[in-house]
Amino acid sequence: MTATSAAVPKTNHALTAALLAIIPGFGQFYNKQWVKGIIFAFFLFCFFLSARDLISHGIWGLTTLGTELPRDNSIFLLAEGIVVVLMLLLVLTLWGISIHDAYACGKTRDEGKELYSLKRQYKNLFDRGFPYLMIAPGFVLLVFVVIFPIVFGFALAFTSYNLYNTPPAKLVTWVGFKTFTNLFTLQMWRSTFFDVLGWTVVWTVLASTFQCAVGVLLAILVNQKDLKFRSIVRTIFILPWAVPGFVTILVFAGMFNDSFGVINGSILPMLGVDDPPRWLIDPFWTKTALIMMQTWLGFPFVFAMTTGVLQAIPEDLYEAATMDGATSYVKLKTITLPLVLYSIAPIIITQYTFNFNNFNIIYLFNGGGPAVAGSQAGGTDILVSWIYKLTMSSSQYNIASAITILLSIFVVSVALWQFRRSNAFKNEDMM
Amino acid sequence: MKKVSKLSIAVTLAVGFAGVVSAADLTVWEDIQKSQGINNAVVDFEKQFNVSVDIKEMPYTGQIEKVRLDGPAGIGPDVMLIPHDQMGAAVVQGLITPLEFMQTDKGNYTDSSVQAFTTGGKIYGCPKVVESVVMFYNQDMLPKPLATMDEYYDYSKKVHDADKNKYGLLAKWDSVYYAYGALRAYGAYVFKRDAGGDFDVKDLGLSNQGAIDAVTYMKKFYTDGLFPVGIVGDNGGNAIDSLFTEKKAAAVITGPWNLEPYANAGINYGVSPLPKMPNGQDMSSFMGVKGYVVSTWAKDHALAEKFLQFINQPKYVVERYEATKEIPPVKAVMEDKVIKDDPIASAIAVQASRAEPMPSIPEMGEVWGPIDAALQLCMTGKQDVKEALTAATDHIKSQIEAFRADNQ
Repeated sequence: MTATSAAVPKTNHALTAALLAIIPGFGQFYNKQWVKGIIFAFFLFCFFLSARDLISHGIWGLTTLGTELPRDNSIFLLAEGIVVVLMLLLVLTLWGISIHDAYACGKTRDEGKELYSLKRQYKNLFDRGFPYLMIAPGFVLLVFVVIFPIVFGFALAFTSYNLYNTPPAKLVTWVGFKTFTNLFTLQMWRSTFFDVLGWTVVWTVLASTFQCAVGVLLAILVNQKDLKFRSIVRTIFILPWAVPGFVTILVFAGMFNDSFGVINGSILPMLGVDDPPRWLIDPFWTKTALIMMQTWLGFPFVFAMTTGVLQAIPEDLYEAATMDGATSYVKLKTITLPLVLYSIAPIIITQYTFNFNNFNIIYLFNGGGPAVAGSQAGGTDILVSWIYKLTMSSSQYNIASAITILLSIFVVSVALWQFRRSNAFKNEDMM
Repeated sequence: MKKVSKLSIAVTLAVGFAGVVSAADLTVWEDIQKSQGINNAVVDFEKQFNVSVDIKEMPYTGQIEKVRLDGPAGIGPDVMLIPHDQMGAAVVQGLITPLEFMQTDKGNYTDSSVQAFTTGGKIYGCPKVVESVVMFYNQDMLPKPLATMDEYYDYSKKVHDADKNKYGLLAKWDSVYYAYGALRAYGAYVFKRDAGGDFDVKDLGLSNQGAIDAVTYMKKFYTDGLFPVGIVGDNGGNAIDSLFTEKKAAAVITGPWNLEPYANAGINYGVSPLPKMPNGQDMSSFMGVKGYVVSTWAKDHALAEKFLQFINQPKYVVERYEATKEIPPVKAVMEDKVIKDDPIASAIAVQASRAEPMPSIPEMGEVWGPIDAALQLCMTGKQDVKEALTAATDHIKSQIEAFRADNQ
């Protein structure tokens, strides 16, 4: 077969080799690259021969999610199916590489050039492909450790997997977008979802803005030249950061306790408040307490970053401004703030995305409570803590997964948009 | 289609190497530090049936979650121990199978404990232990338990001294787990049971007239200052425990898990069943039942049933009680002098006979949060009793409906 093609002069080696390479290794054999061909053929044939049953079973499981009880466990079939698909993708990539290689070498021959010797190819692979070779094992691991769980988790949103459809009692089936439509059309789910989403956004914006504003403001104040004991003051402001977050939250939860907490018991009465707010029972006051606590927990980090930036601002900028007769306010507005905000913009963005998914504080302070009538979630539940409740206490896996998808879309798009807008990620120099 | 994929074999092997597959004929998961109670019975069973039994100890509340993965992987148990309120979800998810021998043997156990493990006319568990809250009283302050709740009210009023932090009776009535006894005595219920013993999740009885009367009565203890504000809320239980162990409270309503801590604190306490409510009814309570169940993936279901039947013969149950001090709901043993002559055990047994098992259906999970919040609002006088209870029940109903709606 190769003999006839080779017999015709000025033929299209590239295409012939690429077509032959569809049978693994044969494209390389056509190019007379025996060792490379054997390597490709060996790996790909071995894979397809040994994994034939695995592949067909995996694909069957993934499409049907099982047909017969008690033999089939839909969730295991789903997981296996996804693993098989990921494996196939990796192998198909290898196959694609072999076809491309056959094509490229064929092209070299078409151009009448000599192909590299085995030794030279080996050297080439190491010189140019070194970074790829190095990241390949890590990448494969990443596919199964990171990509697989994400795909599996997202896939659940399109199934009927919940308390009443759980293996081994029932088979799980694909339901398409039904969970999403339920979420938006069933009154009970819709109102809860938008309540929770609304509070999540308010919480993110207020808590993050406060913690950043307080952090930046304090850093600028403490950085004043004529302030005595600056390092001590700085250390004190860093302290809330030094205490583990969950400890702080639990201590605050005790202090805010309605009946025996120190805030309602001593501090507020001392300030003349006769009817102190019900911190853990009234949703509004729980929210207020949460935002104040997050400000306390979050500002030291921004404070530390800003302090670092402030010390890097050259003194001559201020001197020049003073010569021009600028007041302190003008100097703050035109020199300090722009430089600081420019430098810590990425950090501020991460503060927002962090608070959007800040599970700890919501869960530890009041478990997402207090309960509110007519809502599936608690009064202070943000999306991520609601997902936790749906999964862990109500076993509503498909709804939890659907909300996770919506949440991811939201967070990822906001983050991307912010990152793109922020100049800090371009390698430009502002000064 | 191949029945078993190579992948699952690989997974099984991997797990198998990690956690040595048991070669025994029967694997039993027992509660932590309780296997000494059944050791003799197990040895006799092995001899009589010429089989090997492997006992593993692990916390009983986590076993059902573990079997979900261990079962299909082939390293799960045949017999395990679960609290009865996990039974409903386990049955819905098909993790456990009905026990045939219980249909004939159910007369040996107390009715309520069997009911706790019954759903859809089938019995899924063999009750091992019953628990209920009871009255603990400090004998140095209150020599004899009082007969009615009104007497406790008068007594509390007499000994109450806010300055010295002295109290009579204390109870965590802002939590339905403790308040249910009083609620039930007035005719409230969580879910209505139909004739077949199954629950109607659309019929909630936590805001009926009985519930309102009961809560209004209990509220007196709070509004008259007989209960300190500090015992309300999540940490209220700890506050009650410390008041009792500091000898500042004469009586508390709590469960058998406090027997040891109170004794260690040096309190000379007695235990009695709960008193009568003003309407003449005995206080009920929520009963917790631990029971043996058989896994769906059991290697030998028949042998597992034989095993349960064998170790629940009265002579072994008496041994088990003596080793673990947990009250077995086996009628013959409850009449036995080992329990009858023990004042603590008999008090718990009497209260257990008046108690009702907590509903074991998965919908119960939606009840706790809203109703506790409502009770808290009532007891602290922040909302009208009727209003709060009705709002809570509506909330629970909509919650249950939402999860069901998705299922259609």
